[in-house]
Amino acid sequence: MNDNVLEIINDIKEVATNILQKDISTVRGFSERQVEAIAKQTIIIQKGVLNGDIDEDLKEFFLDGLEAMALNFVNTLKGILLVTVEKIWNAIVDRLLSVIDSIT
Amino acid sequence: MLAIKKKLLLLIILTGLIGSVGCRTLLAPEYDKAIVETISTVSEKTMSLFAKVSEGTSNLNFSEREEEYNNLIGAYDALKIKAKARPIPKNTATKKINELLGTRGNALSGDYPSAFAFEKIANTLRKMKEKDRSSVIKPTAIAAFKGQVEIFLDQALTYESFLKR
Repeated sequence: MNDNVLEIINDIKEVATNILQKDISTVRGFSERQVEAIAKQTIIIQKGVLNGDIDEDLKEFFLDGLEAMALNFVNTLKGILLVTVEKIWNAIVDRLLSVIDSIT
Repeated sequence: MLAIKKKLLLLIILTGLIGSVGCRTLLAPEYDKAIVETISTVSEKTMSLFAKVSEGTSNLNFSEREEEYNNLIGAYDALKIKAKARPIPKNTATKKINELLGTRGNALSGDYPSAFAFEKIANTLRKMKEKDRSSVIKPTAIAAFKGQVEIFLDQALTYESFLKR
């Protein structure tokens, strides 16, 4: 393979890896916080139902809330992933355009 | 001569690549500093309300908190509108990326997770206000209201901060 092509491939790999490494650490921290908080919330609801602090109406409300927060946790991850995909895509396009500029 | 041929070949390859990937794209809304700053301010006020009622509430003094509820609900509703008011342009690259992801069953939606979170926080405070006005809210129920708000706040703040590319 042409040396220049190999160089471009390696550049693109490096750009993508750098973006992924940075973004994955954010995703990991967020996921850990959310999973722990959702687990704690479940325990609070359970405790409230058992000690009578949470009545039937509130129980339904908080259970719906748990479902909504789990759904939006996944949607937030998807949203973050979309930003990461965008950053990698644009970095690749920028790299390719800069190589074309340097040739022409 | 050989060097020119190599350059020409490289140019053809690159033009082909650019042609297939399209141009720069925007797949998520633009970062809005004002939204992030407002979340920070409103979340402090929300946590202050929860600190005041952590031992539970009685509807006998609900009027002391009514304005605070109204201000917070209004602030989160406004944040929802602001978050959703940022258009995501559709271009060739966006279409291509979604096609690529879609073929593997992982198409990404262009939803606004922060707007959803703001709506849920406003609804949580509405429910708390309604309960506070009509009866008493006991400490564990307060803890559950607080937990729900905190989880949605984390989702909204994480997403909005991440939009700063």
